[in-house]
Amino acid sequence: MDRRTFLKTSAIITGVGLMPKHGIFSKEKEVVSLVIVKNGSPAQMADKVFEMLGGVSRFVSRGDYVLIKPNLSWDRSPEYAATTNPELVSAVVTQCYKAGAKKVLIVDNTCNDARRCYKNCQIQEIASKAGADMRFVRDSHFIETDIPGGTNIKHWPIYKEVFEVDKLINMPILKHHSLPQVTIGFKNMMGLLGGNRGRIHRPFPENIVDINRVIVPQLTIVDAIKILRRNGPSGGNLKDVEELNTVIAGTDRVLVDAWSARIFGKDPNTLKYLKLAHEVGMGEIDTEKFKPVTFTY
Amino acid sequence: MKKNRSITFRRTAQIAFLGLFILTILQATYPFHPWIPPELFLWADPLTAIVTQLAGRFFDPVFLIALLVLFSPFVFGRAFCGWICPLGTTIDISDRIIANKNYRSFRKYRSLKTIILVTIVLFALFGIQLSWYMDPLPILWRSLGILGMSFFFLLTDTVLNGFINAGIFPDTVLNIQDKISFALFPVATPRFLMLFLPFFIILGILLLSKISRRFWCRNLCPLGALLGLLSKFSPFQRVVNEESCTSCSICQKKCKMDAIEDDFYSTEKSECILCLNCCKDCPTDAITYKFQSPKTMRSSIDLTRRSFIGTGTAALFGSSLFRLNILNPSGTDRLIRPPGALKEDDFMERCIRCGECVRICATSGGCLQMSLLETGLEGLLTPISKFRIGYCEYNCNLCGQICPTKAIQPLNLEEKQEIKTGTAIFLKDRCIPYRLNEDCIVCEEHCPLPKKAIILEVKEFIDPRTREKRMVSYPYINPDLCTGCGICENKCPLEGEVGIIITREGEGRF
Repeated sequence: MDRRTFLKTSAIITGVGLMPKHGIFSKEKEVVSLVIVKNGSPAQMADKVFEMLGGVSRFVSRGDYVLIKPNLSWDRSPEYAATTNPELVSAVVTQCYKAGAKKVLIVDNTCNDARRCYKNCQIQEIASKAGADMRFVRDSHFIETDIPGGTNIKHWPIYKEVFEVDKLINMPILKHHSLPQVTIGFKNMMGLLGGNRGRIHRPFPENIVDINRVIVPQLTIVDAIKILRRNGPSGGNLKDVEELNTVIAGTDRVLVDAWSARIFGKDPNTLKYLKLAHEVGMGEIDTEKFKPVTFTY
Repeated sequence: MKKNRSITFRRTAQIAFLGLFILTILQATYPFHPWIPPELFLWADPLTAIVTQLAGRFFDPVFLIALLVLFSPFVFGRAFCGWICPLGTTIDISDRIIANKNYRSFRKYRSLKTIILVTIVLFALFGIQLSWYMDPLPILWRSLGILGMSFFFLLTDTVLNGFINAGIFPDTVLNIQDKISFALFPVATPRFLMLFLPFFIILGILLLSKISRRFWCRNLCPLGALLGLLSKFSPFQRVVNEESCTSCSICQKKCKMDAIEDDFYSTEKSECILCLNCCKDCPTDAITYKFQSPKTMRSSIDLTRRSFIGTGTAALFGSSLFRLNILNPSGTDRLIRPPGALKEDDFMERCIRCGECVRICATSGGCLQMSLLETGLEGLLTPISKFRIGYCEYNCNLCGQICPTKAIQPLNLEEKQEIKTGTAIFLKDRCIPYRLNEDCIVCEEHCPLPKKAIILEVKEFIDPRTREKRMVSYPYINPDLCTGCGICENKCPLEGEVGIIITREGEGRF
């Protein structure tokens, strides 16, 4: 056996020897892009989501500056399901810090008075305890941003930290909304916009997709613990609230919205903005083809 | 030395009361957890108490606090003016810079304030509230609460933004900015429509000192006149030791109120505000303040019978003019009062234009503004809702909580959420779905009612140009549900003239 053969053989043997292990490893840790967790407490479900997606370190690295965008838009207490579940938000904040995040920022450009919203939805209180930095959004915090490839919107004032953070986590709540029928991740990004936001509604599908061209969350976690069936997005009637105890999360924002819509009882293909987002290549819309990994407590 | 100490004591008291006054203003904010009622000074104001209750024909026990101030002249004369009145202190502070300190006697104008007082009281008898024009405490409340606060806010915001833009500890500064916002102001700088009128009123009052020190207090303040009338018999008074007095006239020149007569012994007690400056400045220490039988003191009535009758007749005609004048001659259907406001006549009689509701609304929703002439001359500076500036927060009832005269009734949150201040109507020539046949729904999405008062009707529309069919959501109002909170008008994405407005249709008044 000459040296060349020896090296070759040993390399092959080493390779083969490593292969099964590697194979098992990759099978176990297959990159999951969509998970649905049910029936746990908000904190349990948040932890499980990250565990199933491959650990929080997949999304947040040591020293990262993380922006979480929940829905704080309305002056309602959490039971009305108009705003994101505060315990879920705080559990995600905790996870981010566990992964070594340097700072976790939470903001929303609210529809009602910001101080009322931040307080009444309880995220300010609970998420601050977990160490999150809550900040009010001011006019001076927006910068006019070009939207390359925008079909209808060429530029819009966008919250400037969006472009300074390392990671963006979108945490919408699943709600009824009379324009897109249901509001999930894409629409939630409107909370990072300034300007006359009412104009985004015309035409809604093109505009919301344009906005999401420049605001790109690395992870979307949809709160479907309590959902608002009617009179959304502001709600205010407990009869319109339904408890689903579900959290949907994933990296493909179109697929997350598609599955959330399906859970809400809507065919994703009837949501114009989602179809458009799929067409411009933002993600998958076919809920039959792309199934989530599910876990039920 | 002892004399200086008493001056220090007086100044400390003045600053403390001004501080307390500012504290009541600072506390008039969302979240509303006052530990001193923001209305305190206005309740304690005997002029507001008498005139408002007289004009409005009602009794409210909170005004009994005013008796403390009203009876104080029977012992201490006009000490309220010299020691407590926050406008007096403000004038004292500004007088240090702008006052003409040269001694100039304007005694003939002194009776003006009594004429003003009598006019205000007579108008009140005829049911017309005028005290707010001249009452120092409401004047100062709206000046500091609305003007001062916004100015301070703008200043802090500009300075802090400067730090942030320069990159000096931006995170820390942002946190400070948010904390200030949460404690004192709304997040965005409050903006007001009617700043120049209150500004010119307070500026005028301060600039009058160019003529003489405390010109306002000497000649114009009706509250001072009221307390002065009751001071005639106060036993605590200025006493001059005739043996040591050298008639040097320093005391007369130094007197803020020009209350010392030419013999330097006698004092016009309805003018003396017990500031103690004369004791301090007397080179021979001849002046003291002590209790003495009031009988020895001279007293003059500064209003003659003739001028009293003249004032009375003028007041009668004047108030008839107000009565004959049509309330709100113009823009009547856009005049939206705060939720819980009394009926227009009663509202006008009770509203003292202190601006408390406007100040607190600016921290939560921000629809209330002081009116100029939209509500007629009579309605000057009364609060009205301007929905393009703000809207009525569904979960807020603070304007009623804070109104010192209950011109806006204190409603609990459930009552306030049900009270109707008006009804929204669509202007179909402007509203996007009706005009352009495109979806908009911004008003519907913001409607805060549990069962939305704006309902969408989806109808098929065929574009005449392209013959394409599309489904459009056309909004309409359920007038039984709409409370007129105005968030729809506020959030309407049209620029300039809006597609939905609030009218007085169906408004509920008390």
